[in-house]
Amino acid sequence: MTTQNIIEISGVEKRFGTFTAVRDLNLTLKEGEFFSLLGPSGCGKTTALRMIAGFQDHDAGTICIGGQDMAHIPANKRPTNMVFQSYAIFPHLNVGDNVAFGLRKLKLGKAETDARVAEALEMVELGGLQSRKATELSGGQRQRVALARALVMRPKVLLLDEPLSALDKNLREAMQFEMRRLQQKLGITFVMVTHDQYEAMTMSDRIGVMFKGQLKQVDKPEVLYARPCSQEVAAFIGGMNFLDAAVTREVNGKLHADVQGFGPLSIDVNPNVARRGPQLLAGIRPEQLEISAQKPDGYDGYLQGTVTNAAFYGENVHYHVTAGGLPQPIAVSVPNYFHTVDHKQGDPVWLGVQNASVIDLGAREA
Amino acid sequence: MSNPASEPLNTPLNAAVSKPRRRPIRFPWLLTYAIGYLIFLYLPVLLLPLFSFNDGTIVAFPMKGFTLKWYAQLGEQDTLLQAMVNSLIVGAVTALVATSLGLFAARAYVRYRFKGRELSEGLVMLPLVIPGIIVASSMLVLFISLGLKPSLTTVILGHVFVALPFAVSIMKSAFDDFDQSLEEAAFDLGESVIGTFRRVTLPIVAPGIVASLLVTFTVSFDEFVLAFFLSGNQPTLPVYIWSQIRFPAKLPNTLALGSLLLLASVLLLLTAEYFRRRSAKSA
Repeated sequence: MTTQNIIEISGVEKRFGTFTAVRDLNLTLKEGEFFSLLGPSGCGKTTALRMIAGFQDHDAGTICIGGQDMAHIPANKRPTNMVFQSYAIFPHLNVGDNVAFGLRKLKLGKAETDARVAEALEMVELGGLQSRKATELSGGQRQRVALARALVMRPKVLLLDEPLSALDKNLREAMQFEMRRLQQKLGITFVMVTHDQYEAMTMSDRIGVMFKGQLKQVDKPEVLYARPCSQEVAAFIGGMNFLDAAVTREVNGKLHADVQGFGPLSIDVNPNVARRGPQLLAGIRPEQLEISAQKPDGYDGYLQGTVTNAAFYGENVHYHVTAGGLPQPIAVSVPNYFHTVDHKQGDPVWLGVQNASVIDLGAREA
Repeated sequence: MSNPASEPLNTPLNAAVSKPRRRPIRFPWLLTYAIGYLIFLYLPVLLLPLFSFNDGTIVAFPMKGFTLKWYAQLGEQDTLLQAMVNSLIVGAVTALVATSLGLFAARAYVRYRFKGRELSEGLVMLPLVIPGIIVASSMLVLFISLGLKPSLTTVILGHVFVALPFAVSIMKSAFDDFDQSLEEAAFDLGESVIGTFRRVTLPIVAPGIVASLLVTFTVSFDEFVLAFFLSGNQPTLPVYIWSQIRFPAKLPNTLALGSLLLLASVLLLLTAEYFRRRSAKSA
C-alpha cells in the first residue's frame, strides 16, 4: 500500500517588510505522519505552520493540501485545524460548547453534534465534562479541550503550535505519549512546531530542523541524531563534542583523518553533509565515549586527560575531561549503574572511542 | 569579655528601641488636608439633596421643616417631563452610536499596527481637553451653515463627539487582555469573519460594551454647554433646569430634580464600573 502525500510545499517564501521569515521551503508530508518542525525561537517555524493553517499568505511558492492548491483559501475553508500555544479556549463557553464550536457551523443536528462532542471528549479522556466551565479547567485539561475541539472537526491535518510548552514537566511528558498514541490511533497527519528537541524526538516520525528561515534537514529522529547535516543541527539536537580533523585520504566511503586529541581514525562519510571544506569537523556524542582510570581495551582512538567536572544527573553521570591541545573540555556521559561517581575532579582518565562513533559533519561553521 | 566589634551594631539598635517613646505626637496634616479637600469637593453637592427636602423656597439656614412636596410636584410639570424624554432619547442614541464607533476603533487600536494609529488615537481623545464652549459654538456655526437646524439631532451629533473618548478608552481596556488567538481559533474552526465577531469577540467584550453604554449615556445626560447651544427649542433636562433657576419659586423643584439626577448618575456609574471590572477579569 502506498501512502498519499497530504501536504506538498514547494519554494515557499514569507517576508515581513525587509525580513525574510521563511525562505525556499520545500517539504512533502505523508498521510498519517507525525511531523515536527524544530528550531530555536525566531527561526520561522511558527510562520511556516501559520502559512499551512492559512493565517498568513505566502509570498512565493505553492502549498498543496490533499492535492489542492491552498493559494487564496482562507483558514476557515482549509482542511486543517490548529491547537494554539495558548489553547485559545473560549472563556464564555463551557467545555461542550467549546468542542461543538466548529460543528455548529456544519449544521449536523443536535443528536449528531452531541455524539461527536462526547466521542471527542472521550478520546482525550475528558468524557462527561461537557458542562464544566472553561475557567475551571487546569492547564492539562485546557490542552485536552483544545485537542478535542480541533479533532472533532476530523481535519486532514492537525497543526500544533508548541502544544506542550505551557505545561509543567511531568504533565508534558505524559501528554507526549498520549498525543502520540492518539495520533497513531486516528491516523491523522500531525504537524507540530516545537523548540524542544526531546519533545520532537519522542513524538515524531520525522523532524524538520529550521534555522534562520531555512529548513536545514528533514529526517527520522534516529538519523537526525546519528547523521546530522551540519554543525548547527548537531549542536541543536543532543550533546556533541566538536573536534577538528585533518583528512589524509578517502577510501571506499571512509575518511581517514587525524582527529584532534584522538589521533588517526576512520570515519564513515556522512551522506547528509551539506557543506564541505578543506578542514573536517568530527563530532562525537558524549554517551559514545568510554571513560576509565586505566587504558580501556578494544578502542580505535584514545585520549588521556584530567577530569575537570563531574556531575550526577540521576540516570547518568556527566564528566568534563580536559587534555593538552584541546580548545575545550570533552563531555562524557556514562549511564548510572551503581549510583557512584567513579571519577573525581582532578583524576587522570583515559577516553576511548570507536571509529563508528565519530560523525562526519563536513566543514566547521564560523 | 567585651567584644569591640559588636558595639557599633548595638548603638543604633538601642536608639531605635527608645525612639518611639520620645517621638512627639504630631498634628495629622495629611489627614486634615484630605478631609478638607473632600468637604470642599462634595459639600455643595450634598447641600442639593438637603435643601430639596426643605419646606420653604429660600435656600438658607435655618431650614423650615421636612417635606416631599417638591418631589411630588415634579410629575405635574409637562415641560419638565418633555425635557426628560428629550434627554433620554439623546442619551440613548448617543450611547449606542458612541459605543459602536468606540468598539471598532478600540479593536483597531489594540489589534493592529498601522500608519497614523497614534495620531488617530490622539484625535479621538482630543474632545476631553477642548473647551466645551469652543466646540459648542463652532458646531453651531457648522451645523447652521450646513442647513441643519438646532434640534435633538444636532445635540446627538455633539454628544457623540464628546462621549467618544470615553467609549474608546473603556473598549480599549476590554480589548487589551483579549487573546487574539481566540478569534483565530474561531476562524480556524470554520467560522466566518462576521460569525467570529458575533460568536467570540462580542460575548467576551460584552461587559465592556455595557460599561461603555452606561458611561456614554451619563456623559450625554449630564452635558449642558453643547445642549444649550445646539438644542434649539427642544431643551434637554440640564438646559431646562438652567432655564428654571431664573424663577425663585421654582428653585426647590429644581433642587429635587437635581437630587434625583445625582442619584441616578451615581447608580449608573457604579453599575458601569462593575461591568468594566468584570470585562477586565474575564478576558
